[in-house]
Amino acid sequence: MMTPMLITAIALAMLAGPLGCFVVWRRMAYFGDGLAHSALLGVAVGLVIGMSNQLGMILVAILFAIMLLWLRAQRLLATDTLLGILAHAALSLGVVAMALLGVEDAELHDYLLGSLDSVTADMLVYVVLGCGLSLGLLMRLWPGLLLMTSSEELAHAEGVPVRTYEFLLMLLLGVLVAAAIQIVGILLITSLLIIPSSTARLFAKRPETMAIGGSVMAALCMLGGLPFATAIDVPLGPAIVTLSVTLFMAVLTGRLLIDRFSSRFKKSN
Amino acid sequence: MSEPLIEARDLCVRRQGGLVLDNVSLTLGERDFITLIGPNGAGKSVLLRHLLKFESPNSGTVKHRHAIRIGYVPERFQIDPTLPLPVRRFLTLNNNQSADAVEALAAEANCEGLLDKPLANLSGGELQRVLLARALSSDPHVLMLDEPAQNLDVSGQLQFYQLIDELYEKRNLSVLMVSHDLHMVMSSTRQVVCLYHHICCSGAPDSVARDPEFVQMFGAEMAQMMAVYQHSHAHDHTHDHDHAHLHEIKP
Repeated sequence: MMTPMLITAIALAMLAGPLGCFVVWRRMAYFGDGLAHSALLGVAVGLVIGMSNQLGMILVAILFAIMLLWLRAQRLLATDTLLGILAHAALSLGVVAMALLGVEDAELHDYLLGSLDSVTADMLVYVVLGCGLSLGLLMRLWPGLLLMTSSEELAHAEGVPVRTYEFLLMLLLGVLVAAAIQIVGILLITSLLIIPSSTARLFAKRPETMAIGGSVMAALCMLGGLPFATAIDVPLGPAIVTLSVTLFMAVLTGRLLIDRFSSRFKKSN
Repeated sequence: MSEPLIEARDLCVRRQGGLVLDNVSLTLGERDFITLIGPNGAGKSVLLRHLLKFESPNSGTVKHRHAIRIGYVPERFQIDPTLPLPVRRFLTLNNNQSADAVEALAAEANCEGLLDKPLANLSGGELQRVLLARALSSDPHVLMLDEPAQNLDVSGQLQFYQLIDELYEKRNLSVLMVSHDLHMVMSSTRQVVCLYHHICCSGAPDSVARDPEFVQMFGAEMAQMMAVYQHSHAHDHTHDHDHAHLHEIKP
């Protein structure tokens, strides 16, 4: 019973580490939130067309990204305004559609906060396959993405297809959201991306260390979140996030203490 | 004459109703050294982004010579402090530079001592030299710089422009640079192009300094100062873009 859950958690964590780094570096937290909000509409679309939830979510995520990129190119409104409009539109449409389709409130609750018994064996295949392919693609794009994160014009001048890379990064985020949503829940999915990576940032000196560190942190929190959620009977999402924030605070305190002692040490020399 | 490296024809770019670039044509050939000047908001950076083909114009064309390599030093480079990126790693991103090649590049751009520092902690002058090293890493045909010295103090500016001059003399490349530092630009003898949405004038600094449009834009004082500096005799400012090389390297 627990094994599919464990495998899923590890696959998700491996992808969430490096992807989360880009969310932090490129300030895409609000975008991740928007994408998560659109996932509910994806579930509804999946129900209507009769395909799996995950495919419905990825489809809606792609539409979401295309609409955002298109609207942004019109230069009429700021990106965060556009995201606010799109995200809440998608969430509201999703809730309305779910109600019309007769989905029960309890199930809606599971989508919002994640649930323990959400992982089934056939979903496991999707998640592991999706995360594996995504991780492979992300590793190929890694140097170019890093370069365009430092400067888009510079990356373009050196031949990186910046627009394509940006779209692929959004697509990868869409895949992760679709894969993780039933575990972590729509409301908390962004924290799975940014808290572990931010924790790793506290000690990382190279981008790759931060990515791998983020994965390790995410894995620890998800694996710890399972028994934690079971023990006190809360939804899985909040259990995982509570653990990851605790870990973040602990590493932050350690970091600040080390900094203070090392600067004292320097002064006394 | 060999095929130009970058050729822009009749570029028009419209933003919020106004024309930012109005029929701008510019040709960069081999071993050219062109400095682009103009007041704030004249469209210099926009022109550069179009010459890079980073943006597409409303009308007009930009042609790059086949397989051209461009080294670019952007105007604004603000790396997010959450990205832990040592200079050495930055210089090897997305290219396959060996450790020795990185050391050589750093030496050429005068930033050997910075290789193990995080990119986000560099001062303005240090960052410019690192960006220059990055721009050189592809062994470019063209070095394109957008106001590379704007955050430097006067001695830093002087050193940076000298560094660019040295690179131009040593390497087989062309330079296209946007600059705000009129006194530096106008005291050199390189080709100057003055832009204010359209190309106002171009040529050697002494002829540009006497152009009525230049005088109107930068004040009669500047023009007078140039006249004293360079006491040139001929008054033949041309409105077409001749590419007379004042610094032709002899074979």
